Amino acid sequence: MTLTYTILIILWLSLIVYAVLGGADFGGGIWDFFAFGPQAERQRRLIGQALGPVWEANHVWLIFLIVGLFTAFPLAFSVLSIALFVPFSLAVIGIVMRGAAFMFRGQADDATTSRRIWGRVFSTASTITPFFFGTAAAAVASGEVHVQGGRVQTDLLAGWTTPFALIIGALALSLCAVLAAVNLIVEAQNSNEPELVEAFRRRAMIAGAITLALDVVAFILSPFQAPLLLNGALDHALPLIIATALIGVGAAISLLLRRYRLARFLSFTATAFIFASWGLSQFPYLVPVSVTISNAASPPATQLALLIGTIIGMAFLLPSLWLLFHVFKGKHPELNVQGKAEETKESAPTQH
Amino acid sequence: MSDLLAARAQMGTSLAFHIIFASLGVGLPLLLCIAEGLALRRKDATWMTLTRRWTKAFALLFAIGAVSGTILSFEIGLLWPTFTKFSGSIIGLPFALEGFAFFIEAIFLGLYLYGWERLSPRAHWLCSFPLWISGAASAWFIVSANSWMNTPVGFQITHGQVTGINPLQAILNPSTPYETTHMLLAAYVATGFGVAAVYAIQILRGKREPYYRKGLMLAMALGAIAIPFQIFDGDLSARSLADLQPAKLAAMEGVFHTANGVPIKVGGIVDDKTGQVLFAIEIPDLLSILARGDPHATIIGLDKFAPQDRPDPFFVHPSFDGMVGSGFFALLIGGLFWLLYFRRKRVVPENRLLLWGIVLAGPLSFVAIELGWIVTELGRQPWVIYNFLRTQDAVTTAPGLNISFAIFSGIYVVLAITLIVLLLRLARSPLPKQEWPVLVSSSSEEKADTK
Repeated sequence: MTLTYTILIILWLSLIVYAVLGGADFGGGIWDFFAFGPQAERQRRLIGQALGPVWEANHVWLIFLIVGLFTAFPLAFSVLSIALFVPFSLAVIGIVMRGAAFMFRGQADDATTSRRIWGRVFSTASTITPFFFGTAAAAVASGEVHVQGGRVQTDLLAGWTTPFALIIGALALSLCAVLAAVNLIVEAQNSNEPELVEAFRRRAMIAGAITLALDVVAFILSPFQAPLLLNGALDHALPLIIATALIGVGAAISLLLRRYRLARFLSFTATAFIFASWGLSQFPYLVPVSVTISNAASPPATQLALLIGTIIGMAFLLPSLWLLFHVFKGKHPELNVQGKAEETKESAPTQH
Repeated sequence: MSDLLAARAQMGTSLAFHIIFASLGVGLPLLLCIAEGLALRRKDATWMTLTRRWTKAFALLFAIGAVSGTILSFEIGLLWPTFTKFSGSIIGLPFALEGFAFFIEAIFLGLYLYGWERLSPRAHWLCSFPLWISGAASAWFIVSANSWMNTPVGFQITHGQVTGINPLQAILNPSTPYETTHMLLAAYVATGFGVAAVYAIQILRGKREPYYRKGLMLAMALGAIAIPFQIFDGDLSARSLADLQPAKLAAMEGVFHTANGVPIKVGGIVDDKTGQVLFAIEIPDLLSILARGDPHATIIGLDKFAPQDRPDPFFVHPSFDGMVGSGFFALLIGGLFWLLYFRRKRVVPENRLLLWGIVLAGPLSFVAIELGWIVTELGRQPWVIYNFLRTQDAVTTAPGLNISFAIFSGIYVVLAITLIVLLLRLARSPLPKQEWPVLVSSSSEEKADTK
């Protein structure tokens, strides 16, 4: 079982990384939606800048999660695919339209109709995916995915349209908005845009307050709609949940004190803790209460091969990822774009 | 539409759409790598301009490839949950490895696209290597999984349970060497002739700048080098079917009756009822010679298989012939181009008929990819995992498949139209000033435009 747990932890970690980094990208789309007034174009440009180099790489964490689940826990993948056909299909549509519209918008000229339309598609699609993944997660966590006699119960709206699930969907959205806002504050700081820093600080606080409110509603609903999750949480994830709350408070305080890098770090950590708490709460089930970790696990030979493949893959992946974030997200004060262009012009080889 | 047909239609549409972008995702980075390498080595502004243009097009194509690939990774589960349950522990591994390769490609694409100002020219060029290497690796892993569906090994079935799993053996199944090389070469052929077609059109329109000639030459070099290997490899691949998947071979060649000294039937319409291929050109004994190296060799026909286990040759046979025909056409065009080039003392040929041939060979090479894929998929029916799991047993029980198919088809139509419009616009936008110091120092092509 050690092997199985190792794989499960790796997969859960990729879920967390996807939620944090991918979530911040989707949140960028949400803020694109709410960009208005004289600052709107500058905000949109900042969002585009923040997403541009990294969104495709951030998105691959989801692919890795899917294929990892397919390989290591094929039964769970199969059950979830049947029961959550509708929310997953809608989330995928969001993914496709978000990515395509982002690229299409980038290629369109400024202030044209096609740019405006694809911009709208980009921001609307960015809200679809987190919401439906949120409802699907809620359906799983609250034990609404039923298997009877080896047959997965299918009803178009089953499980993911309960009030609890809808609240969790909204919560996923507001969480993405928080992650994006705190990230955009740092991005705005890096490109010397103090007005945008203030704008996204306000947005981060508003989204944070909404997230907190939705948390409270979800908690109130949970005894009736997700007793399984609540009991699991109280039983074996309580320390983690308390830690999550404390980190969240820390993030809010550092935001108030304008310690932006710290605020971003704490918001990202709090999100990671939320997902860790969820995972621990529903242990030992992958899909409560029909699929356990052990009965979904593929044989040891497969899992060992996957683990070895993952170690080799990570040996290539992690340095590459470091390079990507170092080049685009590291502190490069000398590299603000105009300055660099001037600088290289002088040092460039001249040849005719 | 029945649920099974709707699911097959959705999966088929998705794959037909994705395979174009996936192929370009394998082929274009190689062109970028060579063009940028030439630019840096010779401090050549034209090569650098080509690199920058191709990068812009590649950015769009890669993004569409990435999102359409995501659709597929979900669809495997959403449409075929029984397939995933059966096969995940056996053949999930290459999907996971492909995940890593794709990851590397996405990361270096980010660096390549947005790194013009942040990386030194040399570092920027070096980023194109992981790009084409991981592109090729992705294709290899994914196609190895498809090969396994054709020749499933690396497990046993005992009392209805999958046991004795050996994931490595599953990846290296008997079809893998043939299918993976065939797909990789197909990607290079199609990218080469596809890009060449763009420049052939421009030259036909009277453009004579070195920019167009260099673009045409590099693309034709890639296509013309890849195509002879592809035809040789295709022959090996088809021959392997005689042992590995005789039903598929029979469907491809329209062989209904097992016999000795079987002819090749070129073209024609397959009549399932009479077991004949109408209007086909027959070349006596050739199939026996090609498949077994002996004019009297026995070729297994569809009659050896129970009716419920037979693939329908109606589409498979013409698809196969169409693919082979496209391949030979590309070979002819590629050969003629370089023959004229060297006979005319290294001047790019401007023979209009030849240029029109290139314009035709480009799209035909992509058609060949689609047809080849139709051959391998429809030729495997009625099985999704050959001899183990029928397609009809793998389909999901979830409702609403017709609606899902309609929505996803609509999305593909919108994406395709928008993409074509944007690519055409990109091709028509005026060339920037091609001066070396401007190109390597300015932060973007647009800046060079305004100077």
